[in-house]
Amino acid sequence: MSEERTDELTRLLREEYNAPPEAPRDEMWSAIQARLEARESGVVSLDQARSRRAARLRAPLAWAAAAAAVLVLGVGIGRMTAPTAPPVAEAPAGATGGADPGILRLAAVEHLGRTEALLRMVRADGASGWVDPAVGTWARSLLTETRLLMDARQEQDPAMEELLEDLELVLVQIVGVTEAAGGDQGRAREELILTLDGMERREVLSRIQAVVPPGAGLAGT
Amino acid sequence: MDVVGRAQGGDQAAFRALYDANVDRIYRLMYRMAGEDHLARDFTQEAFLRAWQRLDQFRGNAAFSTWLHAIAVSVGLNGLRKVDRHRRRERSLEDAAPVAVGRRELDVGARERLAEAVDGLPEIYRTVLLMHDLEGYGHGDIAGILGVPEGTSKARLSRAREKLRATLGDAMKEYVG
Repeated sequence: MSEERTDELTRLLREEYNAPPEAPRDEMWSAIQARLEARESGVVSLDQARSRRAARLRAPLAWAAAAAAVLVLGVGIGRMTAPTAPPVAEAPAGATGGADPGILRLAAVEHLGRTEALLRMVRADGASGWVDPAVGTWARSLLTETRLLMDARQEQDPAMEELLEDLELVLVQIVGVTEAAGGDQGRAREELILTLDGMERREVLSRIQAVVPPGAGLAGT
Repeated sequence: MDVVGRAQGGDQAAFRALYDANVDRIYRLMYRMAGEDHLARDFTQEAFLRAWQRLDQFRGNAAFSTWLHAIAVSVGLNGLRKVDRHRRRERSLEDAAPVAVGRRELDVGARERLAEAVDGLPEIYRTVLLMHDLEGYGHGDIAGILGVPEGTSKARLSRAREKLRATLGDAMKEYVG
Protein backbone atom coordinates (compact mmCIF):
# COMPACT_ATOMS: atom_id res chain seq x y z
CA MET A 1 0.00 0.00 0.00
CA SER A 2 1.49 3.33 -1.00
CA GLU A 3 2.04 6.34 1.24
CA GLU A 4 -0.67 8.28 -0.63
CA ARG A 5 -3.30 5.92 0.64
CA THR A 6 -2.48 6.59 4.28
CA ASP A 7 -5.09 9.32 4.61
CA GLU A 8 -7.72 7.10 3.10
CA LEU A 9 -6.77 4.26 5.41
CA THR A 10 -6.92 6.62 8.38
CA ARG A 11 -10.41 7.68 7.37
CA LEU A 12 -11.44 4.05 7.09
CA LEU A 13 -10.00 3.24 10.51
CA ARG A 14 -11.70 6.23 12.09
CA GLU A 15 -15.05 5.06 10.80
CA GLU A 16 -14.60 1.33 11.22
CA TYR A 17 -12.20 0.46 14.01
CA ASN A 18 -13.98 0.29 17.37
CA ALA A 19 -16.15 3.24 16.44
CA PRO A 20 -17.47 4.53 19.79
CA PRO A 21 -21.16 5.09 20.49
CA GLU A 22 -22.28 8.09 22.50
CA ALA A 23 -20.90 7.98 26.04
CA PRO A 24 -23.48 6.77 28.60
CA ARG A 25 -22.68 9.75 30.82
CA ASP A 26 -25.42 9.49 33.41
CA GLU A 27 -25.20 5.73 33.84
CA MET A 28 -21.47 5.89 34.40
CA TRP A 29 -21.81 8.78 36.83
CA SER A 30 -24.40 6.83 38.81
CA ALA A 31 -22.03 3.89 39.04
CA ILE A 32 -19.17 6.15 40.12
CA GLN A 33 -21.33 7.78 42.77
CA ALA A 34 -22.46 4.41 44.10
CA ARG A 35 -18.89 3.26 44.47
CA LEU A 36 -17.85 6.49 46.14
CA GLU A 37 -20.71 6.22 48.58
CA ALA A 38 -19.97 2.55 49.23
CA ARG A 39 -16.46 3.57 50.20
CA GLU A 40 -17.68 6.30 52.49
CA SER A 41 -20.05 3.87 54.17
CA GLY A 42 -17.25 1.46 54.97
CA VAL A 43 -17.31 -1.08 52.17
CA VAL A 44 -13.69 -1.64 51.24
CA SER A 45 -13.13 -0.62 47.62
CA LEU A 46 -11.76 -2.90 44.93
CA ASP A 47 -8.59 -0.86 44.68
CA GLN A 48 -8.05 -0.79 48.41
CA ALA A 49 -8.73 -4.50 48.70
CA ARG A 50 -6.38 -5.32 45.84
CA SER A 51 -3.54 -3.20 47.16
CA ARG A 52 -3.99 -4.59 50.64
CA ARG A 53 -4.07 -8.07 49.14
CA ALA A 54 -0.90 -7.45 47.17
CA ALA A 55 0.82 -6.04 50.24
CA ARG A 56 -0.21 -9.03 52.34
CA LEU A 57 1.02 -11.52 49.75
CA ARG A 58 4.35 -9.73 49.55
CA ALA A 59 4.73 -9.84 53.30
CA PRO A 60 6.83 -12.55 54.98
CA LEU A 61 3.76 -13.94 56.75
CA ALA A 62 1.66 -14.03 53.60
CA TRP A 63 1.04 -17.70 53.78
CA ALA A 64 0.13 -17.51 57.43
CA ALA A 65 -2.66 -15.17 56.36
CA ALA A 66 -3.58 -17.53 53.56
CA ALA A 67 -3.69 -20.45 55.95
CA ALA A 68 -5.92 -18.48 58.27
CA ALA A 69 -8.25 -17.79 55.37
CA VAL A 70 -8.40 -21.47 54.55
CA LEU A 71 -9.10 -22.30 58.16
CA VAL A 72 -12.03 -19.89 58.24
CA LEU A 73 -13.45 -21.31 55.07
CA GLY A 74 -12.57 -24.82 56.15
CA VAL A 75 -15.31 -24.67 58.77
CA GLY A 76 -17.78 -24.42 55.94
CA ILE A 77 -16.14 -27.24 54.08
CA GLY A 78 -16.23 -29.38 57.17
CA ARG A 79 -19.96 -28.89 57.41
CA MET A 80 -20.37 -29.79 53.78
CA THR A 81 -18.20 -32.87 53.66
CA ALA A 82 -18.32 -34.34 57.18
CA PRO A 83 -17.66 -37.03 58.27
CA THR A 84 -15.26 -37.86 55.45
CA ALA A 85 -13.44 -34.52 55.39
CA PRO A 86 -9.99 -34.34 56.96
CA PRO A 87 -9.68 -32.49 60.27
CA VAL A 88 -9.73 -28.75 59.64
CA ALA A 89 -6.49 -28.24 61.53
CA GLU A 90 -4.71 -30.39 58.93
CA ALA A 91 -6.20 -28.54 55.99
CA PRO A 92 -3.60 -25.91 55.16
CA ALA A 93 -0.38 -27.27 53.77
CA GLY A 94 1.37 -24.74 55.86
CA ALA A 95 2.32 -21.21 56.54
CA THR A 96 5.73 -22.03 55.24
CA GLY A 97 5.35 -23.47 51.77
CA GLY A 98 1.84 -23.01 50.34
CA ALA A 99 -1.80 -23.82 50.84
CA ASP A 100 -3.10 -27.22 49.79
CA PRO A 101 -4.58 -26.69 46.33
CA GLY A 102 -7.21 -29.39 46.92
CA ILE A 103 -8.52 -27.75 50.06
CA LEU A 104 -8.51 -24.34 48.43
CA ARG A 105 -10.45 -25.74 45.51
CA LEU A 106 -13.06 -27.24 47.84
CA ALA A 107 -13.32 -23.98 49.73
CA ALA A 108 -13.79 -22.08 46.49
CA VAL A 109 -16.45 -24.47 45.22
CA GLU A 110 -18.40 -24.24 48.45
CA HIS A 111 -18.13 -20.49 48.45
CA LEU A 112 -19.18 -20.24 44.82
CA GLY A 113 -22.22 -22.38 45.54
CA ARG A 114 -23.42 -19.98 48.21
CA THR A 115 -22.63 -16.99 46.03
CA GLU A 116 -24.63 -18.53 43.22
CA ALA A 117 -27.63 -18.78 45.55
CA LEU A 118 -27.33 -15.07 46.38
CA LEU A 119 -26.94 -14.05 42.74
CA ARG A 120 -29.98 -16.09 41.74
CA MET A 121 -32.04 -14.40 44.44
CA VAL A 122 -30.86 -10.94 43.37
CA ARG A 123 -31.60 -11.73 39.74
CA ALA A 124 -35.07 -13.06 40.53
CA ASP A 125 -35.94 -10.10 42.77
CA GLY A 126 -34.28 -7.71 40.37
CA ALA A 127 -36.63 -8.74 37.57
CA SER A 128 -39.35 -6.93 39.49
CA GLY A 129 -37.07 -3.94 40.11
CA TRP A 130 -36.53 -4.61 43.80
CA VAL A 131 -33.93 -6.22 46.06
CA ASP A 132 -34.35 -7.04 49.72
CA PRO A 133 -32.02 -4.68 51.66
CA ALA A 134 -31.19 -7.61 53.96
CA VAL A 135 -29.31 -9.12 51.05
CA GLY A 136 -26.65 -6.48 51.72
CA THR A 137 -25.43 -8.23 54.87
CA TRP A 138 -25.19 -11.52 53.05
CA ALA A 139 -23.37 -9.90 50.13
CA ARG A 140 -20.88 -8.22 52.50
CA SER A 141 -20.13 -11.55 54.11
CA LEU A 142 -19.60 -13.22 50.74
CA LEU A 143 -17.45 -10.29 49.64
CA THR A 144 -15.17 -10.82 52.62
CA GLU A 145 -14.92 -14.53 51.87
CA THR A 146 -14.24 -13.85 48.21
CA ARG A 147 -11.33 -11.64 49.19
CA LEU A 148 -10.02 -14.19 51.65
CA LEU A 149 -10.06 -16.79 48.91
CA MET A 150 -8.31 -14.44 46.52
CA ASP A 151 -5.62 -13.90 49.13
CA ALA A 152 -5.17 -17.59 49.69
CA ARG A 153 -5.09 -18.89 46.15
CA GLN A 154 -1.97 -17.22 44.76
CA GLU A 155 -2.67 -17.64 41.03
CA GLN A 156 -3.02 -21.41 40.99
CA ASP A 157 -5.86 -21.33 38.48
CA PRO A 158 -6.17 -18.27 36.23
CA ALA A 159 -9.79 -19.01 35.29
CA MET A 160 -10.78 -19.25 38.95
CA GLU A 161 -8.83 -16.07 39.75
CA GLU A 162 -10.70 -14.23 37.03
CA LEU A 163 -14.04 -15.56 38.23
CA LEU A 164 -13.31 -14.50 41.82
CA GLU A 165 -12.30 -11.03 40.63
CA ASP A 166 -15.54 -10.66 38.68
CA LEU A 167 -17.53 -11.92 41.67
CA GLU A 168 -15.80 -9.38 43.86
CA LEU A 169 -16.96 -6.61 41.55
CA VAL A 170 -20.53 -7.92 41.34
CA LEU A 171 -20.76 -8.29 45.12
CA VAL A 172 -19.51 -4.73 45.63
CA GLN A 173 -22.23 -3.59 43.24
CA ILE A 174 -24.90 -5.55 45.11
CA VAL A 175 -23.82 -4.00 48.40
CA GLY A 176 -24.04 -0.62 46.66
CA VAL A 177 -27.58 -1.36 45.46
CA THR A 178 -28.80 -2.34 48.91
CA GLU A 179 -27.29 0.81 50.41
CA ALA A 180 -28.78 3.02 47.72
CA ALA A 181 -32.15 1.36 48.37
CA GLY A 182 -32.20 3.06 51.77
CA GLY A 183 -32.16 6.47 50.09
CA ASP A 184 -32.92 7.53 46.53
CA GLN A 185 -35.15 4.81 45.05
CA GLY A 186 -34.61 6.01 41.49
CA ARG A 187 -30.87 5.70 41.80
CA ALA A 188 -31.21 2.32 43.52
CA ARG A 189 -33.16 1.06 40.53
CA GLU A 190 -30.51 2.38 38.15
CA GLU A 191 -27.81 0.69 40.21
CA LEU A 192 -29.77 -2.52 40.17
CA ILE A 193 -30.07 -2.43 36.40
CA LEU A 194 -26.32 -1.85 36.08
CA THR A 195 -25.60 -4.69 38.48
CA LEU A 196 -27.85 -7.15 36.66
CA ASP A 197 -26.36 -6.04 33.37
CA GLY A 198 -22.86 -6.59 34.77
CA MET A 199 -23.79 -10.09 35.93
CA GLU A 200 -25.03 -10.94 32.46
CA ARG A 201 -22.10 -9.44 30.65
CA ARG A 202 -19.58 -11.20 32.83
CA GLU A 203 -21.58 -14.43 32.59
CA VAL A 204 -20.87 -15.07 36.25
CA LEU A 205 -23.72 -17.51 36.85
CA SER A 206 -22.85 -19.76 33.93
CA ARG A 207 -19.17 -19.65 34.91
CA ILE A 208 -20.06 -20.61 38.48
CA GLN A 209 -22.23 -23.44 37.22
CA ALA A 210 -19.28 -24.76 35.25
CA VAL A 211 -17.38 -25.17 38.53
CA VAL A 212 -20.01 -25.94 41.16
CA PRO A 213 -21.70 -29.32 41.42
CA PRO A 214 -25.53 -29.10 41.68
CA GLY A 215 -26.66 -28.55 45.27
CA ALA A 216 -23.40 -27.17 46.60
CA GLY A 217 -25.05 -23.81 47.14
CA LEU A 218 -27.24 -25.24 49.88
CA ALA A 219 -24.29 -25.94 52.13
CA GLY A 220 -23.50 -23.37 54.75
CA THR A 221 -26.39 -21.08 53.88
CA MET B 1 -11.10 28.96 43.72
CA ASP B 2 -11.23 27.15 40.38
CA VAL B 3 -13.21 23.99 39.76
CA VAL B 4 -10.21 21.70 40.25
CA GLY B 5 -9.39 23.37 43.54
CA ARG B 6 -12.96 22.97 44.73
CA ALA B 7 -12.92 19.29 43.74
CA GLN B 8 -9.66 18.87 45.63
CA GLY B 9 -11.46 20.29 48.63
CA GLY B 10 -13.99 17.45 48.43
CA ASP B 11 -16.71 19.24 46.46
CA GLN B 12 -18.47 16.48 44.53
CA ALA B 13 -20.40 18.97 42.39
CA ALA B 14 -17.09 20.39 41.19
CA PHE B 15 -15.88 16.88 40.46
CA ARG B 16 -19.09 16.29 38.49
CA ALA B 17 -18.26 19.39 36.43
CA LEU B 18 -14.81 17.96 35.71
CA TYR B 19 -16.45 14.66 34.82
CA ASP B 20 -18.86 16.37 32.41
CA ALA B 21 -16.04 18.25 30.75
CA ASN B 22 -13.91 15.17 30.15
CA VAL B 23 -16.02 12.03 30.11
CA ASP B 24 -16.88 12.01 26.42
CA ARG B 25 -13.28 12.07 25.26
CA ILE B 26 -12.17 9.57 27.90
CA TYR B 27 -14.97 7.14 27.04
CA ARG B 28 -14.28 7.47 23.30
CA LEU B 29 -10.63 6.68 23.82
CA MET B 30 -11.38 3.75 26.12
CA TYR B 31 -13.83 2.41 23.55
CA ARG B 32 -11.27 2.72 20.78
CA MET B 33 -8.81 0.81 22.92
CA ALA B 34 -11.21 -1.86 24.19
CA GLY B 35 -13.78 -2.26 21.42
CA GLU B 36 -16.56 -3.15 23.86
CA ASP B 37 -18.98 -0.94 25.69
CA HIS B 38 -18.76 -2.69 29.05
CA LEU B 39 -14.97 -2.52 29.08
CA ALA B 40 -15.01 1.12 28.00
CA ARG B 41 -17.46 1.88 30.81
CA ASP B 42 -15.42 -0.02 33.38
CA PHE B 43 -12.19 1.70 32.40
CA THR B 44 -13.81 5.13 32.28
CA GLN B 45 -15.43 4.72 35.69
CA GLU B 46 -12.25 3.35 37.19
CA ALA B 47 -10.27 6.27 35.78
CA PHE B 48 -12.57 8.84 37.37
CA LEU B 49 -12.61 6.99 40.67
CA ARG B 50 -8.84 6.92 40.75
CA ALA B 51 -8.71 10.58 39.79
CA TRP B 52 -11.04 11.40 42.70
CA GLN B 53 -8.86 9.40 45.07
CA ARG B 54 -5.69 11.07 43.86
CA LEU B 55 -6.90 14.62 43.38
CA ASP B 56 -4.55 15.81 46.09
CA GLN B 57 -1.65 14.62 43.93
CA PHE B 58 -2.61 16.90 41.05
CA ARG B 59 -0.22 19.84 41.25
CA GLY B 60 -1.28 21.71 38.14
CA ASN B 61 1.99 21.10 36.30
CA ALA B 62 -0.05 19.88 33.34
CA ALA B 63 -3.63 20.52 32.29
CA PHE B 64 -6.15 18.62 34.37
CA SER B 65 -7.41 16.79 31.29
CA THR B 66 -3.87 15.61 30.50
CA TRP B 67 -3.45 14.31 34.03
CA LEU B 68 -6.84 12.60 33.86
CA HIS B 69 -6.09 11.06 30.48
CA ALA B 70 -2.81 9.69 31.79
CA ILE B 71 -4.72 7.86 34.51
CA ALA B 72 -7.31 6.61 32.02
CA VAL B 73 -4.77 5.30 29.52
CA SER B 74 -2.94 3.50 32.30
CA VAL B 75 -6.20 1.95 33.54
CA GLY B 76 -7.16 0.96 30.00
CA LEU B 77 -3.86 -0.62 29.10
CA ASN B 78 -3.66 -2.56 32.36
CA GLY B 79 -7.25 -3.69 31.98
CA LEU B 80 -6.74 -4.85 28.43
CA ARG B 81 -3.75 -6.94 29.39
CA LYS B 82 -6.15 -9.01 31.47
CA VAL B 83 -8.59 -9.54 28.64
CA ASP B 84 -8.27 -12.07 25.90
CA ARG B 85 -8.27 -9.75 22.93
CA HIS B 86 -9.05 -12.50 20.46
CA ARG B 87 -12.10 -13.52 22.41
CA ARG B 88 -13.31 -9.93 22.33
CA ARG B 89 -12.64 -9.67 18.65
CA GLU B 90 -14.52 -12.88 17.87
CA ARG B 91 -17.50 -11.66 19.82
CA SER B 92 -17.62 -8.30 18.10
CA LEU B 93 -17.26 -9.90 14.69
CA GLU B 94 -20.14 -12.23 15.37
CA ASP B 95 -22.32 -9.18 15.84
CA ALA B 96 -20.84 -7.33 12.92
CA ALA B 97 -22.89 -6.53 9.88
CA PRO B 98 -21.64 -4.94 6.67
CA VAL B 99 -21.46 -1.20 7.06
CA ALA B 100 -21.48 1.39 4.33
CA VAL B 101 -18.20 3.25 4.31
CA GLY B 102 -17.66 6.02 1.82
CA ARG B 103 -18.13 4.70 -1.67
CA ARG B 104 -18.06 1.03 -0.81
CA GLU B 105 -19.45 -1.32 1.75
CA LEU B 106 -16.79 -2.82 3.98
CA ASP B 107 -17.58 -6.50 4.33
CA VAL B 108 -16.97 -8.56 7.44
CA GLY B 109 -13.81 -10.11 6.03
CA ALA B 110 -12.25 -6.75 5.26
CA ARG B 111 -13.26 -5.42 8.64
CA GLU B 112 -11.66 -8.43 10.28
CA ARG B 113 -8.39 -7.92 8.40
CA LEU B 114 -8.36 -4.27 9.34
CA ALA B 115 -9.11 -5.00 12.99
CA GLU B 116 -6.51 -7.76 13.18
CA ALA B 117 -3.90 -5.48 11.70
CA VAL B 118 -4.53 -2.81 14.33
CA ASP B 119 -4.90 -5.33 17.15
CA GLY B 120 -1.61 -6.88 16.10
CA LEU B 121 0.34 -3.65 16.53
CA PRO B 122 2.60 -3.47 19.57
CA GLU B 123 0.82 -1.67 22.38
CA ILE B 124 3.01 1.45 22.28
CA TYR B 125 2.35 1.98 18.56
CA ARG B 126 -1.33 1.09 18.68
CA THR B 127 -2.01 3.53 21.52
CA VAL B 128 -0.47 6.45 19.65
CA LEU B 129 -2.25 5.50 16.41
CA LEU B 130 -5.62 5.37 18.14
CA MET B 131 -5.04 8.66 19.94
CA HIS B 132 -3.69 10.60 16.99
CA ASP B 133 -5.29 9.21 13.85
CA LEU B 134 -8.60 8.03 15.22
CA GLU B 135 -9.31 10.46 18.04
CA GLY B 136 -7.40 13.53 16.89
CA TYR B 137 -5.05 14.10 19.84
CA GLY B 138 -2.02 16.25 19.05
CA HIS B 139 1.49 14.99 19.60
CA GLY B 140 1.94 17.49 22.44
CA ASP B 141 -1.08 16.07 24.26
CA ILE B 142 -0.04 12.47 23.58
CA ALA B 143 3.45 13.18 24.88
CA GLY B 144 2.02 14.65 28.09
CA ILE B 145 -0.40 11.78 28.59
CA LEU B 146 2.07 9.00 27.92
CA GLY B 147 4.98 10.75 29.59
CA VAL B 148 7.25 10.57 26.56
CA PRO B 149 8.95 13.27 24.46
CA GLU B 150 6.92 14.66 21.58
CA GLY B 151 9.43 13.23 19.11
CA THR B 152 8.77 9.76 20.51
CA SER B 153 5.07 10.18 19.89
CA LYS B 154 5.74 11.15 16.28
CA ALA B 155 8.15 8.29 15.77
CA ARG B 156 5.68 5.79 17.22
CA LEU B 157 2.91 7.03 14.95
CA SER B 158 5.12 6.77 11.93
CA ARG B 159 6.14 3.25 12.91
CA ALA B 160 2.51 2.28 13.55
CA ARG B 161 1.42 3.43 10.11
CA GLU B 162 4.36 1.73 8.50
CA LYS B 163 3.58 -1.57 10.22
CA LEU B 164 -0.08 -1.25 9.33
CA ARG B 165 0.67 -0.69 5.67
CA ALA B 166 3.08 -3.61 5.68
CA THR B 167 0.53 -5.91 7.34
CA LEU B 168 -2.36 -4.96 5.13
CA GLY B 169 -0.42 -4.91 1.87
CA ASP B 170 -3.00 -4.70 -0.88
CA ALA B 171 -5.73 -6.24 1.23
CA MET B 172 -7.66 -2.98 1.55
CA LYS B 173 -6.93 -1.77 -1.94
CA GLU B 174 -10.52 -1.77 -3.16
CA TYR B 175 -11.59 0.37 -0.21
CA VAL B 176 -8.80 2.91 -0.07
CA GLY B 177 -7.69 2.96 -3.69
